[in-house]
Amino acid sequence: MIFKLAWRNIWRNKRRTIVVMLSIIVSVAVLLLVDTLSVGMMKQMLDNQINIHISHIQIHKKGFKDDKTVKNYIPDDLKVEKAIMEIEEIKFYSKRVITYGMINSAYNSSAVIIVGIQPDKEKFITIISNSISRGKYLENKGEILLSEKLAQKLNVEVGDKVVLMVSDVDGNISTELFRVVGLYESPHSEFDKINAYITIEDAQKILKLDGKVIEFALIVKDQKYVNHIKEKLEQKLGDLYEVLTYADVAPFIRIMLDMYYQMIWIYYFIFGVAVCFGIVNIMLMSVFERVREFGVLKAIGMKNKNIFLLIMTESFIIGVLGTIIGLALGFAFYIPLSKSGVDLGFFAKSLAWFGTGRIIYPVLTNFTLALVSLTMPFMSLIGAIYPAVKSIKLEPVEAIKHI
Amino acid sequence: MTIIKTENLTKIYSDGKVEVVALRDVNLEIMQGEFVVVAGPSGSGKTTLLNQIGGLDKPTEGRVYLEGKDITQMKKDELAELRLRKIGFIFQTYNLIPVLTVSENVELPLVLLGIPERQRKEQVMEVLNLLDISELANKKPNEISGGQQQRVAIARAIITRPSIILADEPTAHLDSKTGGMLIDVMIKMNREKGITFIICSHDPQVIQKAGRLIRLRDGMIEDDKKIW
Repeated sequence: MIFKLAWRNIWRNKRRTIVVMLSIIVSVAVLLLVDTLSVGMMKQMLDNQINIHISHIQIHKKGFKDDKTVKNYIPDDLKVEKAIMEIEEIKFYSKRVITYGMINSAYNSSAVIIVGIQPDKEKFITIISNSISRGKYLENKGEILLSEKLAQKLNVEVGDKVVLMVSDVDGNISTELFRVVGLYESPHSEFDKINAYITIEDAQKILKLDGKVIEFALIVKDQKYVNHIKEKLEQKLGDLYEVLTYADVAPFIRIMLDMYYQMIWIYYFIFGVAVCFGIVNIMLMSVFERVREFGVLKAIGMKNKNIFLLIMTESFIIGVLGTIIGLALGFAFYIPLSKSGVDLGFFAKSLAWFGTGRIIYPVLTNFTLALVSLTMPFMSLIGAIYPAVKSIKLEPVEAIKHI
Repeated sequence: MTIIKTENLTKIYSDGKVEVVALRDVNLEIMQGEFVVVAGPSGSGKTTLLNQIGGLDKPTEGRVYLEGKDITQMKKDELAELRLRKIGFIFQTYNLIPVLTVSENVELPLVLLGIPERQRKEQVMEVLNLLDISELANKKPNEISGGQQQRVAIARAIITRPSIILADEPTAHLDSKTGGMLIDVMIKMNREKGITFIICSHDPQVIQKAGRLIRLRDGMIEDDKKIW
């Protein structure tokens, strides 16, 4: 009966209820879209970071993270390979040699990160092989793969020659001539500016590493268990090695994720408070309009807790109903957008800087669904407390006299 | 058996500057099954007396006993429980809940008592039949006449089988024919169900049918006469 009474009461003043419900509907739909879009952006940024270079797990000699010099090569790569092979959850791995150097063309020069890769194996680790915009992917010794951006800076085309200059393992300057076989373009503009790929054999030769490698890049079967796999590897490899997950390698991703959570709470707070004040307003009006009725209900024996419950139920119904319709509206936009993506072309430059790509695909997580579903009903309850307290404070004698 | 007893019942309203004595040392004893009409001019304290007896308001001094229990010392929720189980109210302006149908209005006190739905429906139909308003069961209060609304209010008041029904000017907004019929209905309830009625009124046709007539003036009992 309380529910029936509450339900009919909220439709006494249809226009008022619909107006406040509309504010909930719009808030829920907007929150759903903003949140899923933010999650999508974060996910794409993270995925791109992993897929362009970082991979899920990297293994180095201990100390490489803080001192990225060639001297910190992996002392026993066979031991690392054996440990990797023993862990079933690891899907792919590839060896790399990484160093800093200069790249020179006939027209210009630039600082560069030289990544020596195993071309066939690297295909399963990163998306570079799929990001070739001109020419072909790396296959043989003597070949180099540059980004479109770097090629533009150096003023070179596919087929042109460039010279790499590095400091080898003994600290001597070493140079080598390479032919540009392909140009790539990844979603991450900052990454593109400084990375050039050669074969691992060439890298070992130019750095005089004598077959040694600097990094193992791993892709695991399930990203969720990355920390668990890291622990397993650490146990097997011991103190001489550092095992880093993508979160360890790129701490700014974690910072971005933290920032997202803080921002999203602020969004929910702002919308929630706005709705809360709307609810306080209409419920107060509703209580003041029904003072006499509350007096009658009290006179016939309705206890204060039931009157309190009645007001809370009325507000909760508005919150729940608004949320359901808001979710339906939000999903009407979310479902097609999750397939087509949202083209944020006008932000393309800054998005490329973050490494997200210009098309963002919204992603709905259980966390978002729970948060967006619960916020407005919760805020409706919060907003109804004051009017409900007002209603139970009414004295029946005074209330019945009220006109 | 004494159902209501007041001892030196006094109510003084004060706004800080002016004090108005609404009731002064009212000593009253009402027996079960009586049909009492409290009459008196406006401002004589009729409604105040009814509010004190019904536990809607606290006296400034004195005591009210309902079936031997002092209700002036009870807390708000205890009073609500008491009103629900022992007292039925009929108001001048009917005061039905506009969003509920006639049968739902009558059913409401039973819901508050926690009576199972089937039993509630049976009791509601019985009372609606008794008051000859069963055909109005699914109508909303604004769809029926004033006289019919007051019958519904009576049905709501008697549904819990209270010991006592308090009615405040129940015929004030009704024409004399409807008002007369309504008083007859109340007398019928009094005789058939043994419910005690205390009716405040200055309507001559109500006063004429009183079983016991108490006249108030300036918050004091001027006259108390048993008629039948």
